[in-house]
This record gives sequence, structure tokens and C-alpha cells, in this order.
Amino acid sequence: MNSMIEIRNVNKFYGRKQALYDINLTIEKGMFGLLGRNGAGKTTLMKTLAALHQKKDGDITVCGIPIERAGEIRAMTGYLPQDFSMYPSMKTYEALEYLGALSGMKSATLRERVTDILHKVNLTEQRSKKVAQLSGGMKRRLGIAQALIHDPQVLIVDEPTAGLDPEERIRFRNLLCELAEDRIVILSTHIVGDIEATCEQIAIMDEGKILWQGTVNQLISNACGHVYTANVERKFMPQLKKNYIVTGMITQAEYATVRIVSDEEPDLPNAVLTEPDLEAAYMYCLHISGCDVKGDEN
Amino acid sequence: MLFTRECKKIFRSLTFIIYCAMVILMFFTQFWPELDERVTSSTIESYELTKISGEPETIMPKALDSLTGCYFSNTYRCYPYGLLKAVHLNSRDNDKIKGYIIEISGLNDDEMEKLKAASSFSHVRIGTNELESYNVNHVPLREDITYGRFREIMGEIDDILGGGSDYRPDDLAYKFSQEPMSHAEIIEQYDDFIEKDHIAAAYGRLLSDYLGIVLAVIPVFAAAALVTADKRAKMDELVYSRRISSFRLIFTRFSALVLTMALPVLLCASITAAKIMHMYKGDAPDIAGAFTVPGIWLLPNIMLVTALGMCISELFSAGMAILVQFAAWFICMMMTSSPLYGHIGRYTFVCRHNSLFYRSEFMEHYSDFLFNRIFYTAAALAAVLLTVIVYELKRGGRFNGLVLFGKDSIFRRKA
Amino acid sequence: MDWCYSARIVYSDVRHNFLLHYLLAAAVVFITPLFFSVSGLDSRQAAQPLEMIISLTGTVLLTPVFMPEQNGSIRDVIRSKKTPYLLTCIVRLCIDMLILAALAGISVLYMKKCRSEVTFLHFAGTAASAMALGSLGFFAAGLSNNVIIGYMASLLWYIINFTAKDKLGVFFIFSMMNGSFDEKKWLLALSFALILLTFVYLSYVKYKI
Repeated sequence: MNSMIEIRNVNKFYGRKQALYDINLTIEKGMFGLLGRNGAGKTTLMKTLAALHQKKDGDITVCGIPIERAGEIRAMTGYLPQDFSMYPSMKTYEALEYLGALSGMKSATLRERVTDILHKVNLTEQRSKKVAQLSGGMKRRLGIAQALIHDPQVLIVDEPTAGLDPEERIRFRNLLCELAEDRIVILSTHIVGDIEATCEQIAIMDEGKILWQGTVNQLISNACGHVYTANVERKFMPQLKKNYIVTGMITQAEYATVRIVSDEEPDLPNAVLTEPDLEAAYMYCLHISGCDVKGDEN
Repeated sequence: MLFTRECKKIFRSLTFIIYCAMVILMFFTQFWPELDERVTSSTIESYELTKISGEPETIMPKALDSLTGCYFSNTYRCYPYGLLKAVHLNSRDNDKIKGYIIEISGLNDDEMEKLKAASSFSHVRIGTNELESYNVNHVPLREDITYGRFREIMGEIDDILGGGSDYRPDDLAYKFSQEPMSHAEIIEQYDDFIEKDHIAAAYGRLLSDYLGIVLAVIPVFAAAALVTADKRAKMDELVYSRRISSFRLIFTRFSALVLTMALPVLLCASITAAKIMHMYKGDAPDIAGAFTVPGIWLLPNIMLVTALGMCISELFSAGMAILVQFAAWFICMMMTSSPLYGHIGRYTFVCRHNSLFYRSEFMEHYSDFLFNRIFYTAAALAAVLLTVIVYELKRGGRFNGLVLFGKDSIFRRKA
Repeated sequence: MDWCYSARIVYSDVRHNFLLHYLLAAAVVFITPLFFSVSGLDSRQAAQPLEMIISLTGTVLLTPVFMPEQNGSIRDVIRSKKTPYLLTCIVRLCIDMLILAALAGISVLYMKKCRSEVTFLHFAGTAASAMALGSLGFFAAGLSNNVIIGYMASLLWYIINFTAKDKLGVFFIFSMMNGSFDEKKWLLALSFALILLTFVYLSYVKYKI
């Protein structure tokens, strides 16, 4: 059996509105990042992969099994929705046992598995706390625990780091990386930092289309020669934002050091070509694909 | 196991606790007083048992008295849709009735007026309704009138009243030929009670009668609450994404609901059985009847109401389920016509037998009763299957429930 | 409070959250004559449709007052605004009571027009029964933060009235059918007590304002 997700020419409509346009992707074992702005279609694609949405046409196979066989797909997929929540009156371990039972696990193995998984996501102490009493980070970790409880081959996590503090976020990323060693983990996010720290393979989505697919290094090298830094007076900032894509800014008194993405060398006195970071590379990618990513508001 | 977890969830829900309270309340306020006194061959006399003789000699004068009284007050009791409707006729139609009364009785206008002046006036209570009525007694009956012609006239009167009246020819016997049982017949009832019903089955029937009223509606609350719990906790997608098949999930939830809701009924039956054991020590009661009768009688009630509750909640919303089933219950209640025993039809959902006695009348319709219960069990299973289909469609993103009003209304949705 | 704004709040509330309930309550009233006779009834007979059907408008109208904010995060957003949340609820409640009174009034006037023997007491009694059923639903929904529990409480009380009529004393909502109006003032007092209790609970216990 192959351990790959293959998506071929997939289209999806909500009523008359098209949500996914001709998606083609191959996802292999390891971490796969789906990067895109809010409303880019990431969640739609993920739900379609979790057999929660119907596609209109095209083919999807998960580890060789067509997505239409929803029962089998669900058996090998763990899904963490964007806004994960659970019956608030259940205790943490009860919630896991309940969802484990829904995943068809036997009672005998379930007990043990719950203990293991709670340890893995560092919730052992919260075992007997009610779900309603967990903090945001703990709830997220419970979310990942429930998606893992039946040891799925594919893990789909939708914007898992939204609303987490930096410490929690780092811990969470590390956990995902660990998990990706022996399975496919698909992570969607609009936060570039999450991808940078975890994923090798990424795809960038916008308005229901895949703009780009490849490795992080490829993306960065694509942007080489298009990222500049410059020192400008702060009063020129509005003007600057109108003309260029500004991906970073450090202000010092009257001056600001800005990072600019541009097709050609910007017309600024002290602009210097620099190594692109992932964020700038992402912006460049959006830019060359024709997306409006300038910072000005009009 | 998923089943025990679902049960646990139900046990903890407020709707279930209120459900139990309601069943227990019904049990102690309505049924328990019936267990106050031991039925013996002498106390049975106080139950005022009646029988239906069906003899024209009894029916005709009584029906005529009743009709004349109704004519005087121009208020006729009818149950056109099963609901009581007091019919008041216009003077032309009322005069037609007068014509029929004159034909049957042979009185003239003056004598009618005299009769009216001599009659007493009172309110008559029927179920929860009270109607004004003239108590007219002994209106003379023409000697040459045949029962055939009498029935014919009654049929025409029923038509004038719009149907469903007391004078419907087929109902005449029951409505107008009830008379007290003779001593021998009462003793026969007592023997049936002791020897055929072995006491407990009789109490089982009465218990089912009382609990059946509430069990025809209240399980819907717990069912609707359980079905919408996923949505309330915003975890419907999480459940959708699990491995379990829709069929197994829905049937597990359904059976968990039915089992948990049967428990308080079982408790009531046990209390009844214990009390019977204590009270009828010398009569060798067979307490099995206190369990089997309510089992056969009430389980279909719980099953159907639960299944429909799940189905409508899944299709529309919990509020809709409650609304629809409350309305259905209300109509069932209004359609229950007297007598409250022995008349269990093939499709009456709320079966009534509000007496410890009349076993033979009950057994007369026993095959209908069994058919009835099997029919509703099958209907319940069909409703669960429908729920499975709806759930599976929602789960695959092919269907999102029906919204009747508002922006996403099915009436406004195009293509 | 700026009246223009309050009118705006009321409008959007009615339009988005409660229109359906108002229509349903009206439907209950307009369907009644199809199944129950309403013409030429004496005082007791006239009470039957009023108490058995029209009083249900209370359940329909008052129970869902908290429904739009049943979701915790929506409630928190609403409560964080300048207009106190409970004030919004009071306004909703007042509108519901007005509609309830209007519907009871329409029913009684219509029956009067159909030569039924109805008086102001019938109107007041119907409104009191409806208020009682509704306020119990409101109370239960407010305490449990679950509208289903609200409907359940209200309808169970109604069902009990069918089966245990002689044991309810002043809490019997079908008393006019027996020709007694005495219970009604108790019902009315009870409903205001329940409403008050709900607000006290919400403001001092649950939200600790």
C-alpha cells in the first residue's frame, strides 16, 4: 500500500460559488504545510480530505483508497477542526474515551491508549479536569490527542496554532514534527512561522487555487534577488507601502529599516539586496501569482 | 463501549432527570392511589362496573332523551376531528331536528314546550370539557317506530351535525345502552381479575394506561437534546470525522435512549409488583404481568417518540421536533374517546384501558392491540433508519438539514 | 439611552431572532377556530379554547428570550457591549407580553363577535395562564441556559394539567373551564415572581454584575 495522498483535478462548489479550482497535489509522508490567506480554501480542502465535504469532480486517493469510501478514509484519518470543542461537562479522559469509542476502538485498548496519549500531549495532570476548565492551549492539545487516539495514518490539523501563546506554539510544532515521522501530517495555517519551523513540503493556496507547490528551500530560492532592505524616513512610509510590498519593518526614531519585496531594484537611495526569509518568499510568491498583497488600504 | 458512554451522557443530562421526575410524578399522583385498597369480592362492587347491552329497547329512549335535551339547549357534542366541538345549529337545522324528535316521539309543539319547562338545567362534564345541558327524562317513544327507522333518522341527524356526534348509528349502542352490571357479572369480573389476570396483569394494564399518556410525548425532549448535543458543543464535525458508521452511531444512540428511558418505567413496575406482593399475599399473584404488560405496551411508545424526535431534530431542529410531537400528542389526547377501556384500535397510538377490570373486552381486541404495538415498533425502526440516512447525508456534506424560514430557507433556495 | 438606537436594537432583534416565534404564536391563535368551536359558547365553554390553546402562546413567546445568545461566545460578545444584556432581555420580554396580550385580546374579541359569553375576565385569565406557562419556560431556560429545557418545563406543566387537574390547587391553569377565576391572580403573581427570580439569578449569581 502506498502512503501518499493524491489529489487530481478536484473542483468543489458551495451552491454556485466555486470554492476549489482544479486542485492537483501529491502529499507524501512527513509534514505538509498548506499556506494561504484567510478564506483561501484551506479549510475546504482539508474537510474534503477528511471526507466531510463532497467534491464535484476529480479524484482523491488517500493511501490508495478513493475518498468516496468514506468509512475507510475516516478510519485512517485523524482530524482536528479549526474551532475544536467538546462536550464541556465531560472530563478530559472521558472525552478521549468517547471519541475513541466513536473511532471504533475496543474498551480494553482504549484505557491504555488514553493514558499514553495524554502523556504524549502533556495533559496527564488534567486527566480528570472538565473540558470546560481547560485553557486554550490545553484544549488544543486535547484536540490533537483526540485526532491521534486511533493512531491514524493521516493527520489533518486545521490552523492548530491560532490563539496559542509563543511557548505553547513551539511545543505544539515540536509535537507535530514528532508525529510526522511515521505518518502524513497536513497542517494548514496562515502563519508563515509555523510552516518555517516544521514543514519540508508546502503548498500555497489562494482563492481556491494552488499557486505553488514544492519545498521551503525552493520557495526561498525563487525569491532570491527580489528582497531588499532599506532605511527610509518614517514620513515616507505611507508612500512606500503604496509602491512596494513591505514584509517587515523596524523603527528607530525618525527612521525605519524596511524589508521590501520587489520585481526590480527599488528606487530608494540605500536599498540593499538581502537573503529572503520564508515570509518574504511567500509574499513574493503571492505577488508573482497576481495577488494584491500591498500594504496600503485603498 | 460506545453504548455505555452514550448511556452515561444521557444519565447526566438535565432532560433525562426531568423525564424521570415526570414519570415518577405521574406514577405517584395518578396510579398509586389505585393501589390504596385491596380489591376483594366485596369491594369490587364500589367500582360501579357497567356493560353495553346493545338492546334497541334501551338505546332508543335514552338516545331520544339525550337528543331532546341537546335540542333544547341547542348544544350538540361532536368529535369531528376527534376534538370536541360543541355544535350550535341555525334555527332551520334545529327545526329539522325538532321534526325528527316529533316523528320519533309523537309529541306536538305544545307538549315539547311543556317538556322543556319541566326539565332541569345543568352542566355536564365530559373529559376536561363542560357543556350546558337540559336533563330530559322519559320522552315518550312512539310504539310503531322500528329500530331500523330510528337508526336511519339518527344517521340523518349525524349528517346535519357534521358527523362525529353521539348519534352516529354505529356508536349508539355504546353511547346509550350502558347499564350497571348484575352481581353475577361483577363476580365474573372479579374471577377474571384473580384467575386470568393473576392480579398483576390487571395492574400492569392500568399502569401502562397512565404512563402511556406521558410516554407518548416526553421522550422527545431527551431525544432532541441528545441529537443536538453535538451541535451545541460545536463538535458535530469532530464526530462526523470518526470511523464509526452512521448506522451504528445512530442505532447505538437510539438504543441508549430507549434503554435509559425504560429504566424509570421498570422502577415503577417494580414498585407496583412489590406492593401487589404485599397486598395480595393470600391470592397468589403472578407478578410477571406487572412487567410484561407495561413492556409490550410502553416500549413502542418510547421507541417511536424517541425515533421521531431524533429524526425531526436531525432533519430540522430540536425545536421543530418538540413542536411537531407536542401537537401530535395533543391531537391524540383529544381524539381519545370514551370509554377508556377495551377500544384499542389498530392505529391508536395512545392506548387506553383505564380500569383494572374488563379483561374480556381487552382480550377481544387483543390481536389488534398486538398488531398496533408491532406496527409502531416497526414505524420507530423505520424512523431510525431515516435518521441514519439523513445523518449520513449531512456527514458527507451532501445535506445540511432543512431550514424552513429565513435566508437559507428551502422556499428561497434556487436550483 | 438613545431611543433611536434602542429602536434599532429592537428591530434587528425582532427581524432576525424572533419573527418566527411571533408568527408561530399568531398561527396558534388563527388555527384554533378550525378545531374548536368558538361561537355561541357560554362562559365555561368559551374558556376551553382560550385556556387549552391560546395559553400556549405564552410558551411559544416567552421561552426563547435567551435563545439567540445560547452560545457562550455570542453571549460574551453581547454582554461586552454598552447596552446591558439583561436590559435587552427585558425589552424582548415586554414586546412578548404585548404580543401575548394582543393575541389573547384578539381571541376574546373574536369570540365575543361570535356571540360567545366572554368578559374581560376571560381575557385576563387567558393572559395569566399564558404568562404562567411562558414564565416557567423562561425561568427554566434562563437557569439551565438551554431553551429545550425551557420548552420542556413549560409543556410538562401543561401536560400535568391534563392528567392531575385536581391536585394542582392554585396552579391549575385550566380553572376557567370550571368557572373559577380565583387561580388566575396567583398564576399572574407566580409568573412575575419567576421572571424576577430569573433576572436576580442571572445578574447576581451567574454573571455577578
